[in-house]
Amino acid sequence: MNPVAAAVLAVVLIVAVTLFARRAVLLYRLVRMGKPAKRFDDIPARARAEAVVVIGQSKLLQRLLPGLMHAAIFWGFIVLLPTIAIALIGVVDVHATLPWLGRQGWYALLVDIFALLVLAGVVTAFVIRKVQRPRRFAGSHSAEADLILLLIAGIVVSLFAWHASRIALGFNEYPAVWAPISGLLARPLRGASWTPYLERAAVWTHVLIILGFLVYLTYSKHLHIFLAAVNVFFGRTRARGRLEPIDFEAAEGDEVRFGAATVSDLTWKQMVDTMSCTECGRCQDVCPAFNTGKELSPKLLIMALRDQVLAEGPKALSARRSGSTPQLSPLVPNAVTDNVVWDCVTCGACVRECPVGIEHIDHIVDLRRNLVMVESRFPDEAATMLRDVDRASNPWGKPQSDRAKWAEGLGVRVLEAGEPAPDVLFWVGCAPSFDERARQGAISTAKLLKEAHVDFAILGPRESCTGDPARRMGDEYTFQKLAKNNVGTLNEAKVRKIVTTCPHCFNTIGNEYADFGGRYEVVHHTEFLAELVREGRLKPLAGERTITYHDSCYLARHNDVREAPRELAAAAGQVVEMRRNRERTFCCGAGGARMWMEERRGRPINEERVREAAGTGAETLAVACPFCTVMLDDGVRTTSAKLQVIDLATLLAEAVDRRRARDAQATSADG
Amino acid sequence: MEGNEASLQSLTLARKFGEPLRAVHMEAVQPFAPDAMTALMAMVADDLDVSSVFAAGTDRGNDVMARLAARTGLPFAANCIAAEPGDPVTVVRQRWGGSLLEDALLRAPRALITVPPYAFRVTDGPAPIDVDVKPYLTRIEPEDLQVQVTGHVAAAGGGVSLAEAKVVVSGGRGVGSKEGFAIIEELAGLLGGAVGCSRVVTSAGWRPHSDQVGQTGTKIAPELYIACGISGATQHMAGCKGAKRILAINADAEAPIMQNADYAVVGDLKEIVPAISAEIRKLK
Amino acid sequence: MVLADDAMALETRHLGFTISPHEECGVEEAVRMIEAAGGESVVLTLGPPEAVEQLRDAMALGIDRAIHLQTDGSEWDGEATAGAIVDAVRADEATSGPFDLVFFGNESADSGGFQVGLRVARALGRPCATGLKGVKVEGGSVRCEQEADGGRDVYAVPMPAVLTVKEGLNLPRYPSVPGRMRAARKPVAASTPARPPARLELVRLVVPAGQGRRAELLGSGAAAAPAVVEMLRSVGVL
Repeated sequence: MNPVAAAVLAVVLIVAVTLFARRAVLLYRLVRMGKPAKRFDDIPARARAEAVVVIGQSKLLQRLLPGLMHAAIFWGFIVLLPTIAIALIGVVDVHATLPWLGRQGWYALLVDIFALLVLAGVVTAFVIRKVQRPRRFAGSHSAEADLILLLIAGIVVSLFAWHASRIALGFNEYPAVWAPISGLLARPLRGASWTPYLERAAVWTHVLIILGFLVYLTYSKHLHIFLAAVNVFFGRTRARGRLEPIDFEAAEGDEVRFGAATVSDLTWKQMVDTMSCTECGRCQDVCPAFNTGKELSPKLLIMALRDQVLAEGPKALSARRSGSTPQLSPLVPNAVTDNVVWDCVTCGACVRECPVGIEHIDHIVDLRRNLVMVESRFPDEAATMLRDVDRASNPWGKPQSDRAKWAEGLGVRVLEAGEPAPDVLFWVGCAPSFDERARQGAISTAKLLKEAHVDFAILGPRESCTGDPARRMGDEYTFQKLAKNNVGTLNEAKVRKIVTTCPHCFNTIGNEYADFGGRYEVVHHTEFLAELVREGRLKPLAGERTITYHDSCYLARHNDVREAPRELAAAAGQVVEMRRNRERTFCCGAGGARMWMEERRGRPINEERVREAAGTGAETLAVACPFCTVMLDDGVRTTSAKLQVIDLATLLAEAVDRRRARDAQATSADG
Repeated sequence: MEGNEASLQSLTLARKFGEPLRAVHMEAVQPFAPDAMTALMAMVADDLDVSSVFAAGTDRGNDVMARLAARTGLPFAANCIAAEPGDPVTVVRQRWGGSLLEDALLRAPRALITVPPYAFRVTDGPAPIDVDVKPYLTRIEPEDLQVQVTGHVAAAGGGVSLAEAKVVVSGGRGVGSKEGFAIIEELAGLLGGAVGCSRVVTSAGWRPHSDQVGQTGTKIAPELYIACGISGATQHMAGCKGAKRILAINADAEAPIMQNADYAVVGDLKEIVPAISAEIRKLK
Repeated sequence: MVLADDAMALETRHLGFTISPHEECGVEEAVRMIEAAGGESVVLTLGPPEAVEQLRDAMALGIDRAIHLQTDGSEWDGEATAGAIVDAVRADEATSGPFDLVFFGNESADSGGFQVGLRVARALGRPCATGLKGVKVEGGSVRCEQEADGGRDVYAVPMPAVLTVKEGLNLPRYPSVPGRMRAARKPVAASTPARPPARLELVRLVVPAGQGRRAELLGSGAAAAPAVVEMLRSVGVL
């Protein structure tokens, strides 16, 4: 054992660990300062997410090359972790190593292979960043990224140098044949006079880089190696489309948290979100707003929040300690501009892509909640909608008494107060009730339900807006008023099963009303109709139409409804898929209450999607959502695309009529 | 009987209550002072011992008549689209801007009634005789001049303001070009209205943003909205849904606007709009 | 538009009530003036018990307190309404001092009577300017702007005064939730005035024919022009 080396190492260790610990404690305290969030339920599901997303690198592997690159580095580091201990021991005592593991040939082999994989990964990463130059890195700190990659390379190179020189000197504790790569590198070193110096230099370099990296970690985006696992563990395990409600009846003395105005309003989960970001830009790549020229980039949003947390968080902490109120600057417009907050369509593509489990929508909605409910600062055109939702109980501001007009002449039962509930309550939604284009789907659905002899009814004027547009805009107060009202109506009527044509109603009633005492079995009309077809209660005959189906975000991503609509499309015609389909669907542009706001910059999102649909060569664009119907139909008109936008229910009704006509011809031919 | 700032509609109803009609004009008091105008009307009405006073249901008309009612302690029926003399006088009044009507009885020794313009088809008749107001003007008290116009601020940009216009003729993608709007302007001019447009038109630079009707433009509620070559996207309709009546002129009989309009003409607006203008000119 | 069974009122089962847009602008203007110069603001309404919601909405925008003249829900004509308001204003001024300004909406969105503000002004003996789109306090008087002839006429009205305002005067703020929660606790003074007999008496309400839009096809192409002109004449535009 070398006492000088031991002493130096001890000093370096103490310095590194102290610096690391101080920073780590600060970051921990910042997270602890965050407001509460309920993320401790369903541990088995959380463990599963950990296994699949973190250990299995599932989200990263969706892009094959970067995925393999990162997996190589990630798994490599897991395998190489014990080599840190071995190196620390080796610094102090040239002939000592970890008991047992240090002598295992198989471990040496693993180390060799994975160290090479890590190196290959780093080289690949550089090729991607410098040669391929993907757009998702626009706005990320590339110098920091390059440095981190170089440090990783340095760790692995120094490891190889150390192992190679040890083999050359005969110091290896394991049979050298188990370390082919290091053995290969050892050949030129045998007998060279400087090999012993190389051996010492390599191990010291290795340890110093690691300890330096340990500290640098806590000041850079590489922090994700600790926090990603934590963040994924505490992510949503179910009901991705559900937002956390605000408790307005908080006791006097506890302040009600109206969303996020400053860094001190963020929840601890949101704090961890901001610290986990690796600036990879996968979220930015799939964001409909960013990709049509808007200001919003989910990546830049999280980075800006992170910067603000690190800049002002310590101020808040010290103010707390001294018992004074901190002077914190508002997040909007200092860290995040108003435009960025309102550009979001809450489609969830960013959340789905993020490999470290960041939930961007929660941040946006909390920023909106403060802007709308406290500061009353939001796009003017949305004010009309909010007022209408509050006073007229629907975002169109049309009279509730007209709500059942769409069903005139269809023989649809309207459930009056006091009457017994039907088997299935058909929740129509505001769009089909009041918009002439959106109501086609509801009309077809009603006809098909009648044809299949389903016992159903609609609430008519007693149905009011579910509150989704108000909630997505951040007006949680109005949303809760409507939610409680609707839950009251539904519970009073003892409704158990609900079918709806609108994915937003589907999401809100199915996932969010439970927080207000409303627990029902909620099914989307495509699921219900597909079931009827499977049971043979509806008999369709596919026609010649070429159909491409646009997945609604609130179905395919937030709620995993992807195949039932496709069954219907296949039953109606010849299906061809768009590139961005299923959970990778591209929003129509109406979500996040943007249906009632106008796009002022860049290209319209709906036109972008229509172009993609037209590109498949299909003549029919099938939809499963009244908002998608209106947005995409507008898009077809403004781009003069050769497409017909039709709801799946209407296509199914057409197919059922076709079959009936054919069967009638067949029987008349026979008879 | 007399009319004030006579709109043809108010003359039509006034004639039922007796002839000849006498008229006092709003310009009698210059600069305009509503209480002075009211005092003048009260004096004339008493001197002529009229059974009823009619005025056009414009802002100014309603203002002056309401003051007259307060001053002389009489009830006042505003915005009547029908009136029959008798004891009591029967009227039909507009509510909710005309979406609802009210049958009412007016019990008073003198009926005070205003009539909204554009409410119904006018019938012609002899013109009212103007009253000589000069002798009355000298009898106006100073306190009635407390509220008096002291100045005037010009509107930004001349012409009829889009938000206030009673008739708006609007053009969309179908108009085709900046020059294409000439026929739209012509029709608007003949109807005394303003020109509007859809977002597609402002994006293309054919008209300024101040002409845009829609969710992010101006929201209007005219008596009549004529939409030429406008498809009727939701955001545009949000700006004009307050219109009392909508006439859609479009080549596409299935365009969404057809479901939101009261009247429609299908065809090429480049032929239809000039034809309408020509037809109007024949009348004048 | 759906009428109640006795055709005396609108069927309100599925309707939400709201402040008229003109009055809302009046409320906003009052709140802004008090924010700028200090003072106290009061909101008043004549209506059934449910109308207290509108008073709370106004207080959520920042009005300090409310006066609720409760009715049984039946209609009060313009004269009667004005009379009750005059009594209430005089009573309040006796205890809390005179109002510098009283704001009214130019006309109510529902009955469109146009007269309540002017009658109140006459009864209180105060000058009144109507249909205002611009209001600015300058010393002891108010500079008022009223739309006329493609521009605006300007009046200088000495205070105390009564002003009736129009939508477009300002853009009312969207009430903040903390404001709404505070408004729930602000004081409302309620009383029940007696209704005098009406000299403009409502007989019945009638929904005019032709409600709801189903496009009447006037014709195709240039040949439809005469039919269009006929329509323009029938609706009184020509």
